[in-house]
Amino acid sequence: MVERLVTVRNSHGIHARPAAQIVKTTAKFASHITITRDDLEVNAKSIMGVMMLAAECGAEIVLRADGADETEALDALAAVIAAGFGEQ
Amino acid sequence: MGARASLPLNGIPASPGIVVGAAHLLRWEVPEVPTRVIPDEAIPAELERLNAALRKAVERLQYVRERAERTAGAAESAIFDVQISVIQDEELAGRVRLMIGQGFTAERAFDTVMVESREHFARSANAMMRERVGDLTDVHIRVLSVLLGLPDYDPVDLPKGANAILITHDLTPSLTLQLDRECIAAIATDAGTRTSHVAILARSLGLPAVVGLLDATTRIETGDRVILDGTAGTLLVRPTTAELSQADARSRAEALQRAQLAKVAGAEAITADGVRLTLRANVDLPDEVGTAATSGADGVGLMRTEFLVVGRASMPTEDEQYESYSNVIRAFDGRPVVIRTFDVGGDKLPVGGYPHEPNPFLGWRAIRMCLDEPELFKTQLRALLRAAVHGDVRIMLPLVVSVDEVRQARFLLEESARELAARGIAHRADIPLGVMIETPAAVLTADALAAEVAFFSIGTNDLVQYTLAVDRGNASLASRFTPLHPAVLRLIRRTVRVGADHGLDVSVCGEMASEPIMAFALIGLGVRTLSVAPLSVAAVKQIIRGIHTSVAAEAVTRACDAGTPAAAEAVLRAALEQELSENP
Repeated sequence: MVERLVTVRNSHGIHARPAAQIVKTTAKFASHITITRDDLEVNAKSIMGVMMLAAECGAEIVLRADGADETEALDALAAVIAAGFGEQ
Repeated sequence: MGARASLPLNGIPASPGIVVGAAHLLRWEVPEVPTRVIPDEAIPAELERLNAALRKAVERLQYVRERAERTAGAAESAIFDVQISVIQDEELAGRVRLMIGQGFTAERAFDTVMVESREHFARSANAMMRERVGDLTDVHIRVLSVLLGLPDYDPVDLPKGANAILITHDLTPSLTLQLDRECIAAIATDAGTRTSHVAILARSLGLPAVVGLLDATTRIETGDRVILDGTAGTLLVRPTTAELSQADARSRAEALQRAQLAKVAGAEAITADGVRLTLRANVDLPDEVGTAATSGADGVGLMRTEFLVVGRASMPTEDEQYESYSNVIRAFDGRPVVIRTFDVGGDKLPVGGYPHEPNPFLGWRAIRMCLDEPELFKTQLRALLRAAVHGDVRIMLPLVVSVDEVRQARFLLEESARELAARGIAHRADIPLGVMIETPAAVLTADALAAEVAFFSIGTNDLVQYTLAVDRGNASLASRFTPLHPAVLRLIRRTVRVGADHGLDVSVCGEMASEPIMAFALIGLGVRTLSVAPLSVAAVKQIIRGIHTSVAAEAVTRACDAGTPAAAEAVLRAALEQELSENP
């Protein structure tokens, strides 16, 4: 299992469109992937879960991946978030 | 079918024009789900039925998204991607399958899970979650419709040139994205008033519309022939042959009148007693700039900027806003363009984190929201300062109730200019800053505001709403929304006087100015600059050319002293009819 703490950088946080981008990214991997914010841990392949995080700009979230492709999965997810989902 | 008598329905005229077409009913509401239990041996087939329905709903949404992308753009249609991801959510589908495994039908299981999910999101303390309820409702309706074998109501399937009359309860954001003018000829809604979003949108697009029909969706079937009269505010369902030929005659008469008005468009806006007025156009959406620029208007009296944020998945960037503003400014080639800063509340913003309010018109919106979100506001101000190099731009602040709001806005405007200067970006720092006068507070302190601003613009719809405490979006109150109420007339008179004392231009930019009797009253009150919908410019010009300011002033003085709104209207109507019969 690998994990990483990241900060949401895009000014509007993980609203609907970024949530859709997250699940599109994680769906490509076999590993079990989660995102945790405070006490709430959600399946990063479920848009309903990701939307429940309601992570605004500046929110600190923990990404965890467990499985054969866990390193690649974590890198890919962290990259999408670091890129601010292509927004400003 | 042929034996049925025609059915007349009365609503509110929202956008002029007469159209004969086939009704396209869009029932976008959660269908009733029958309760039924299935035997164990039927469970595998039921699970497969769910999978097939989810696949079909996704295919349908992909198609809707592609069509919307072509008419509305990629950024706007991204919302359909979100809905697709919800349908493909394995955790959500897992909960539905669990219930099917217990003997529930696929539709009952899906309905139960979606009701729970929607409630969970709707009750969240977090606005980002609450904002998604609309998408979950769309998914709920779409998948259930497939499972129950109900027809697809999306207007996207209409062929080009279908000349369809869209009939729906209200225009939702995802429905608005599907409005393709090549197949939809007119709109009719149960909800709405003359000034609600759907009415303004219809006028912008030049689509005839009737709103406030209350229950039209329950009385019309798809395919019914309908005469929609957006000028009179009526729908005639299944008309007789005689009624069809009457509609045809009226439609031709309207076209003739439009042709006559087109000749007036180039004339000067000068009254019968030689007083020159300034007549400008309102611009709500980018696609009406062309109509506005050729309408005979002397510039833009009100460019609304809400289209940049409402119904979107994210806030527009500075560059995107700069392009939008520049397009309008360039189209008017040096003529004045008054641009109003965002007049929205937290519920309309694509960025979350704001509570839903029980009373949004008295809530956190317009200048209040902008001052509390300085980065969001400064992005707009920088875009405006940059676009201003292309022409004569003026910035207008909505919903001002106090001088400090003007001072804070000016501080942010100056800060924005300094930021652009530091970045070495071309801009103009000397833009005139004005305020909307749309609250009794602004009228009563207009002298203090006058010392701080370059112009006043009276927003009649909100001034009426805030003065009379009548919600302008409430169809049940439509008859109580009386712009000719003596209280409103007196507030406008006072604003005009304060403006004159301070040498400020006072304009009126509400929908009110486009009705002849309103234009007559405003001119009588001393207003010399009017801004109306592009399609109304020529008609108002014709009114202006037919009246004397002295007669209007005398009539409106009596209207101000009238005891009731009805008495005020009667005084003005009599005087206007007299004028127009003498100066045809």
